[in-house]
Amino acid sequence: MVIVKRKELSLAEKLYLPEVVRGLSVTFRKMFEKPITRQYPEEPLEKTEVTRGQPRLVVKEDDSIACVSCGLCEAACPAYAITIDGGETDRAIEREPKRFDIDMLRCILCGFCEEACPKDAIFMSDELELADYSREALIYNIEKLKRPQAALQQRIDYVKKINTRWQTPSST
Amino acid sequence: MANALFYLMAAGAVAAALGVVLAKSPIQCVLSLLASFFCLATIYLLAGFQFLAAAQILVYAGAIMVLFLFVIMLLNLGNPSSKDGAEDGLFRRKGAFLSVIVAAATMAAGAMAVTADGLAPATQPMPEHGIDTINGLAGEMFGRYLLPFEAISILLLATAVAVVVLAKRDRKDAGKGS
Amino acid sequence: MIEWSVLLAWIVKATVIYLGLVNVGALMTLAERKFSAWMQYRIGPNRVGPFGLLQPLADGVKFIFKEELMPAGANKMLFRFAPVIAALPSMMTIAVIPFTTKDVVLGGWNIGTFSIVNLDIGVLYILALGGLSVYGLIIGGWASNSKYSLLGGLRASAQMISYELTLILTILAVVVMAGSLDLQQIALSQNKVTDWNIWYQPLAFLMFVVATFAETNRHPFDFAECEPELVAGFHTEYSSMKFALFFIGEYSAMTVMACLTTTLFLGGPSVPFLEDPHWALQIAAFLAKAGFFLFLFIWVRWTLPRFRFDQLMALGWKVFLPLALLNLLATGVVKSLV
Repeated sequence: MVIVKRKELSLAEKLYLPEVVRGLSVTFRKMFEKPITRQYPEEPLEKTEVTRGQPRLVVKEDDSIACVSCGLCEAACPAYAITIDGGETDRAIEREPKRFDIDMLRCILCGFCEEACPKDAIFMSDELELADYSREALIYNIEKLKRPQAALQQRIDYVKKINTRWQTPSST
Repeated sequence: MANALFYLMAAGAVAAALGVVLAKSPIQCVLSLLASFFCLATIYLLAGFQFLAAAQILVYAGAIMVLFLFVIMLLNLGNPSSKDGAEDGLFRRKGAFLSVIVAAATMAAGAMAVTADGLAPATQPMPEHGIDTINGLAGEMFGRYLLPFEAISILLLATAVAVVVLAKRDRKDAGKGS
Repeated sequence: MIEWSVLLAWIVKATVIYLGLVNVGALMTLAERKFSAWMQYRIGPNRVGPFGLLQPLADGVKFIFKEELMPAGANKMLFRFAPVIAALPSMMTIAVIPFTTKDVVLGGWNIGTFSIVNLDIGVLYILALGGLSVYGLIIGGWASNSKYSLLGGLRASAQMISYELTLILTILAVVVMAGSLDLQQIALSQNKVTDWNIWYQPLAFLMFVVATFAETNRHPFDFAECEPELVAGFHTEYSSMKFALFFIGEYSAMTVMACLTTTLFLGGPSVPFLEDPHWALQIAAFLAKAGFFLFLFIWVRWTLPRFRFDQLMALGWKVFLPLALLNLLATGVVKSLV
């Protein structure tokens, strides 16, 4: 056990007044220092390559998305935010999602869907703002989730870069 | 106008005073007393006694009544319980009887004063200096009425000392008892 | 019968002074937030109007549209009445503050000195009415039927009684100096800067200023509200404009106390080094001095931590009361010898 001895106050400190004046002088000086407030909507946070915003579906050059509705992201999602219904198409890769919903009110921006995706179809964008007038409007469907590849390129490059550490040197 | 206000305030003072004795909750009693003080202060003002009115509000309404409220709230006095009704009833009857006597005596004294002085105090000529100003009041108080003034001061001082002594003894007794 | 021009002058003065009081109260809410922001490296409200100047207006609109709540078991009549009692007396006290000692002349029309009334007992009037606003807090606290509110009201009453003594005794020292209870006379007696009471009564000045902080329930003595212990004290249960009225009362009381400090200790409208200043200059000087004390209220609030309640009581009864009595005695002795 540590016994802390209380400091004996000097007379000036007991009178309280000199200390009050000292405190007042400190706050007065601080009034003229530069504020550190960030005026948020006008001065948004800087977006770097590690910014992990809401998940978005990448739209490739040929206007299609890479998703084959395998359901891995749906299974990986810890918040049960993703709902996928699969369907068939005539493309070479025969499956595509008929329905791909992410409930943005449930999404916790963890990025597990991005890691789980075997087709590089879903990536975390740098979009962070989320506001609407109803809960329904915040359940995003495919159309709302689609983003051109250019908009997500920074994140795609970053993910590819950090994933190289898992690649073993090729032994073939 | 002034006359109407006087009668209004007088009626208010009496009604509030009735409220003091008739209200069930102690807090309402105190607030009624407060209202009564205000009516009295207004009557003083109507009569031209500015200082008296201010002192009435400052001392009674501003300090003493706050203290009353404080004590009542601190002790958390609720409505009087009707457990020991028989004794309570007897006490009340005695109390009512005494109140009537005191009220009658006061009214008699007041009536005598009014018949001696005439009805409207504001039209009465003031004493030589006029005691509506502070200088006049101070002159009267510390000149002509110095002796009564000092006597009252000593009385109040004695009361204060007595209260302290009584309170102290109570505490000592309580300490011994436990 | 009163002359029409006198009546008109009186109406003009009352309108100007009361509009000023209410606006100062509104601006003080903004100033409080701005200064506190600057002292903490922040910017403060800056969205409504230029530099956030219209923020009080937005707050007022918001207050009006807020839902009015009535706690269960509250004494309905007293609950509604309490904010009025809290706000009205402190607003009434501004009536006797002398903003000029010279007659104000507007284009040849003399409307007298710039105060609503000139009472023979101005100081007493302020003390008597100012002491009443505590009823608003006590009754509001009691009528809310909530333990936090009741404790807040209790504390307000105890604090008020304790510090009213110091307040009155320090004012008495000034009254002894000036030989009058008339604020106009007190201001006139300190016309020159060397005559200001602050030089002759530094101890009384200090105690008076501290007592005004306690009287107006401001930091570091805001035990009636005391957020960490009592939620919001006496106005915990209040909402909407009733809540706003408590604030108007508090800021009016602060304004009047700042004006009173100026009048009693800083010569009121006297302008330093000017023997016979213009009335407009007098008003400006008065407002500047009072403005400083208003700033002091804010400044101290955002500097000092809150006292403990027993410390407040000990300070009031064991330090300030004896000191104020001694100061009064010394003043009386010296005054009668000189």
